[in-house]
Amino acid sequence: MKVDFKEIDRLLQKLRANPYKIFPVETPHTGYIKEFKVKEGDSVTGPTGKWLEKPGTPLFILERERNPKIIRAHTTGIVQNLREDLKGRFVQAFETILEIRHPLSQEEVISEVLLSALHVIYAEETARFILVPEISHRIEKHGLKRAEVRGGEDILIMTFMKREHFIKIKEEGRFIIYQVYFKPFELVPKGSPLIALCPSEDLPVLERIVARIREEWPS
Amino acid sequence: MRIENHKRLKELLERAEYIRDIKGEDFEDVMEVYAQLKYAFENFYDLSEEEIDSLLKSSEKRLEELTILGEKTLTPYEIVKITRHPQRFTLQDILENVYDSYVELGGEGEINIDPAVVCAKAMLIRRVGDDFHVHQVMVIGHEKGSGEEFRRGGSAAPWGNEKALRYMRMAETEGIPIHFFIFTPGAYPIEDYPGAAQQIARNLYAMSKLQVPMISFISEGGSGGAEAIGLADLRLMAEKGYYSVISPEGAAAIVAKLRDGRPPRELVEKMANALKLTARDNLELGTIDRIIPEPPLGARKRDYEFFKRLKIELIKATDEVVLRTRGFKTFTKHALSKQTTDNFSYYVDWDLSEDEKEILVELRYEKYRKMTQWAVVIPKGLTHTLKEKGENFLRVLGNEIKYRVLKSGQKTFKRLIDDILSESSLLLKPVSDPVKTVYNLIVGKKVKPRLPTIPEEEGGVYELPVALEDRTVTCPQAEKYGCPDIWVPDLYGEFCGVCPYCGYHFFLEYQWYLNNVFDRGSIKFFDEEIASTNPLNFDGHAEKLKEDRKRTGLNSAFLSFTAKVGGISVVCGMLVADFRQGTVGAAEGEKFIRAIQLAKITRRPFLMFVHSTGGIRIQEGTVGVVQMPRCTMAVRDYVDAGGLYLVIYDNNSYAGPVASFLGSAPYQFALKSTRLGFAGPRVIHETTGQPPPPDYHSAENALRRGHIQGIWDRRELRKRIFHALLTMGGKNLYYR
Amino acid sequence: MKNKVLIANRGEIALRIMAACEELGLDYVCVYTKGDEGSLHVKLAKEKYRISDYRDMNDLLCVADYAKCTAIHPGYGFLSENYRFARRVVKRERPLIFIGPSWEAIRDLGNKLTMKRIALEAGVPVIPGTIEPIYNEVEAEIEAEKLLDELRSHGVENTSLLVKAVAGGGGMGIEEVKDLVELRPVFRRVRAYAKRLFGDEGLIIEAKIPVFQHLEVQVLGTKDGEYVHFGTRNCTIQSPFKQKRIEVAPGFDYEGKFAVYNFDPRKVEAEIIEHSLKLAKHVNYDNVGTFEWLVTPEGKYYLMEVNTRIQVENEISAQISFVHGKRINLIKEQIRTALGDKLGYSQKDVEFKGYALEFRLVAEDVKRGFQPVSGTITRFDWVDHPWLTMRTHVPRNERYEIPTQFDPNLALAIIYAEDFTQLIDRCETFLSEVVIEGETSQGAPLPNNIAYLREKLKFIYQFIY
Repeated sequence: MKVDFKEIDRLLQKLRANPYKIFPVETPHTGYIKEFKVKEGDSVTGPTGKWLEKPGTPLFILERERNPKIIRAHTTGIVQNLREDLKGRFVQAFETILEIRHPLSQEEVISEVLLSALHVIYAEETARFILVPEISHRIEKHGLKRAEVRGGEDILIMTFMKREHFIKIKEEGRFIIYQVYFKPFELVPKGSPLIALCPSEDLPVLERIVARIREEWPS
Repeated sequence: MRIENHKRLKELLERAEYIRDIKGEDFEDVMEVYAQLKYAFENFYDLSEEEIDSLLKSSEKRLEELTILGEKTLTPYEIVKITRHPQRFTLQDILENVYDSYVELGGEGEINIDPAVVCAKAMLIRRVGDDFHVHQVMVIGHEKGSGEEFRRGGSAAPWGNEKALRYMRMAETEGIPIHFFIFTPGAYPIEDYPGAAQQIARNLYAMSKLQVPMISFISEGGSGGAEAIGLADLRLMAEKGYYSVISPEGAAAIVAKLRDGRPPRELVEKMANALKLTARDNLELGTIDRIIPEPPLGARKRDYEFFKRLKIELIKATDEVVLRTRGFKTFTKHALSKQTTDNFSYYVDWDLSEDEKEILVELRYEKYRKMTQWAVVIPKGLTHTLKEKGENFLRVLGNEIKYRVLKSGQKTFKRLIDDILSESSLLLKPVSDPVKTVYNLIVGKKVKPRLPTIPEEEGGVYELPVALEDRTVTCPQAEKYGCPDIWVPDLYGEFCGVCPYCGYHFFLEYQWYLNNVFDRGSIKFFDEEIASTNPLNFDGHAEKLKEDRKRTGLNSAFLSFTAKVGGISVVCGMLVADFRQGTVGAAEGEKFIRAIQLAKITRRPFLMFVHSTGGIRIQEGTVGVVQMPRCTMAVRDYVDAGGLYLVIYDNNSYAGPVASFLGSAPYQFALKSTRLGFAGPRVIHETTGQPPPPDYHSAENALRRGHIQGIWDRRELRKRIFHALLTMGGKNLYYR
Repeated sequence: MKNKVLIANRGEIALRIMAACEELGLDYVCVYTKGDEGSLHVKLAKEKYRISDYRDMNDLLCVADYAKCTAIHPGYGFLSENYRFARRVVKRERPLIFIGPSWEAIRDLGNKLTMKRIALEAGVPVIPGTIEPIYNEVEAEIEAEKLLDELRSHGVENTSLLVKAVAGGGGMGIEEVKDLVELRPVFRRVRAYAKRLFGDEGLIIEAKIPVFQHLEVQVLGTKDGEYVHFGTRNCTIQSPFKQKRIEVAPGFDYEGKFAVYNFDPRKVEAEIIEHSLKLAKHVNYDNVGTFEWLVTPEGKYYLMEVNTRIQVENEISAQISFVHGKRINLIKEQIRTALGDKLGYSQKDVEFKGYALEFRLVAEDVKRGFQPVSGTITRFDWVDHPWLTMRTHVPRNERYEIPTQFDPNLALAIIYAEDFTQLIDRCETFLSEVVIEGETSQGAPLPNNIAYLREKLKFIYQFIY
């Protein structure tokens, strides 16, 4: 693997200038906004705990067919652009209700930078994806950054035009599954990163990059 | 002389420390004495001998007085503290001082599969006049250690209990008695193989019929952990020991509904009183047989008189158990009561003959069968019971003739028929290929055999009242699997309370099972009048029982009934969540035993359905705890007699029941969203210092650990049970 | 009270329901999902709501309540044959009219086994096979042998069997067994597959009919117990994945131009219509419905399934059916009767005239296993003729991104003619005139199935071996 350290420097600089990411929070479906649980400027947290077993901060309650559903934060940050005018009103699906301004953590900066250094599989079509069950088991068993795959192995299943397509790893060699970017069965726009792999022999190089970022970007 | 004094000073200082720890710093002038001793100890060489002498004399006298005084006002919680004190004697002290020699088995000290459990082959020498007789015994017990971390305070790991079982079996092989010493705050609550609950259940199941005399001695008897080596023929208890369903702290945390953190001190003391955990309480409750007296404020490591006493008591207890099998009742009473010195006036051979072994096991069964029966409301009425007895007798007789006599006579003939016509043989026997030739050979063409199939119940599924609401609910796993919201009438109707997308099982009322699993109209309840009581007079418990009784219309958390599944008659027990969270007390235990006995008498499979169980009912204290050995013995009795015992778990099943009469079932299955294990997350966190993962107790993990035989889907429950009834169980099964 | 219809569908069927509502003077509401904004039904609808999924009944009902709708039209696909949806629509506290048959009819006829049981009860022939789910191999072997004997005694040769998952469909969970010794492994394989995919292990065994034509009877029933039929359709030309590509009405070539029948086609047609109506009456069927039949070269026929909804190809039946000299519109008839209107005519008022054929224009790669493709349509055009009806949600001559979550059906072309010669002429004219251009998401030219349709056209009405 050729690592372009200059490119990494440029990226780091860019991230340092604007170390935030904006996450819009949309309604998952239609319903009525019953209540807001946060105010503009509130800080919220995503799921926490060793196994992410503690759910994130409640943001608002969306009620549909007498089922009040608490919509929670999936990430840490500050609430902004809260649509308070929607309180008590009917909303359609995928309406943006608020945004979470999320300060990038060290880990996220690392994964952002690594996107440029890793072997990333992108969505070729706007479609729904899942991991091949065997791969998913492997990740469950060994964890990310440890589970291994081989070139030529089927790694993803794309549900597209009502049919299932297997996606293979085209390159030869052994890879570590470094990161998974999508949620199962969620519609992923074309061109989005799906999964990041790291050639097993490049792990040391990668660790060097990570160490560098850790140094330069204190947590 | 100076050295001697220094030693004495140290002893007195330790004693002062001990009194302070047990009775508290505000107890009389204990702190003053302690301070003086400590000062003298630290400045020993600066003080004159006279000063030391006088201090020794005065403080020794004062400590003597304080001990007597302290003993007079001793509270249950102080007793708990005594048992936990590092100065209290441990199993190691007993091995050194009570037995005449010993060899530790299966590990040594820290180099050990489980240092919390010590097994040893030990020798006891009985002096009769000038003769010396040697007895061999197996000693199995918890070693608390005196502050040694690796002993985990005597908390046996699952594999520690497994080790105990292995040496029990060895004792059985060698035909020597076992002395159990219980010094445990409770079992180490982890699920790693062989699993805390599972291993305790296995131990109980084995001890039920172990063919050697077993004596147990309890100093610290923490619930299930104690039972793992506690099912003995005679149960001794140290005067300053405690034996309880739960630690006072644990009870306080439950009563105060704490998730973490320490419960308030007053509540803990209140619980120590309420739990009736002292030796005297337990003797009154009938959960132990005898108290071994201790010096005031309890025996410590160097109380040699106590050990001498203990040795005599252990020999006497073993003699008694042995002699009972020989029926020498009068002799036993006479000889044993008089024996107070270690020079015995008689010798008893502890080897049992085959007949005696049988009697031993029978007596053991009877002993536990009777235990705590007083704590249950069983409607009396002489005619009623007599009638019942008569019926039972006739039933036994009828079934004996039907099955035992006829069965053997018809055997050859029957096998022939079986091979040709039997429903089950077609299903079970691997039919050799090609099937059609073999099949045609036997029955000829065009004969459609009757294969066992389970008829669908007419009229669709029974719907719970909750099913009629026009609203939707979100599956708890929606985040993970993207399940859409489910319409309540669908969910609680056709979906059987199961999310059709991810298979998550929602909680269903127990009535659903009664209506959807068994053949319609086939359920007949019995023993409904047997009612839970408040045997410890636990504060506030009577009101709660009354409340639950009113709300549920039930008298206990246990339903006993006979029913049919696809035409097969079964006897069933069910623990329901609605009544005291399905906890088990004396009434539940009694109903369980009666139900499984009915299954034995009527020669039916026994189906135990656990809607939910929160463990042993803490408000019943050790009365609840001894349901573990009691019920497990009934299980063993039934299974050995050829019964098919199936357990099906749903929702939450934890602690005592799982670690005994449920966990000892040969066939256990769990519905999909079951949480199954020994201790809840709070206890695990507290004991191990680590919070368990959220799926620690999942059915899938229980299957992975080998606890259960399979995970069932509620939608297929009826079919699964039917199929299990056809395929499980040994060849001695009654009903086939 | 004036009715307002929620159209719970997309594509050309949504457009046709919209048109039907407008002609009937009914208000309506459309729904759409993310990614489908470019479709014509969204562009044309005045009142529309974005929902999470066309299959999300909760969203549909929430929108229906908010928009004060009184009825729901499910179209075809999606929730149209979901009896739970139909049941919930009518059973909820604020009930709506479900424009379709009763939920009981959907449930009973929608389930293969129940349908077969009911059909046998009513004396309607079904494909020979088991009507109870089988769970174990031994039973399967016994049943299979019985079935083979039965077939042989009826003189059927080259018998083979199908092992089908009860819960399967659309070609999933079906395997063929040619020899009894294969049965056991096949049975186990299909059972494992069914358990994994559908969560239900139940299987049935059916005779495989090797050569057949796929016929359909279009039925309409009302709540008042009136029944009419609109003749038959022939849908034998299908892709290898059992997807229809060319349909033609009427279902039989009475003139014998294409097919050589060993039986009297008019007699067989009359009989399957009679059986279909008999079964419809037996279950009080009260909406449009399609009864699918297999007809063998010997003139034997078996009821295969009942589609309890409007069919994609309904219009070819509508185009050849005239009531009092006027063409009928099946969707209008469906909505009108579901809302409580009387039929207003009877079977004798229905006159059949001419022939109608439907092509399904699909963005699929015929050479690569009929793989659906996505991409952008840059040009979609055809020459208008009075005999041509185009049904499409794709805007004519505008860029259109094909959404990836749905079938890649682009358009239905319905061609009417007085006689067969004319029909084939017009079909060929149409196929040479229609233009579909575009590129796939990888930048290659967008494939379509026009050439395939042209090639298959000569096979209509024939038994396919």
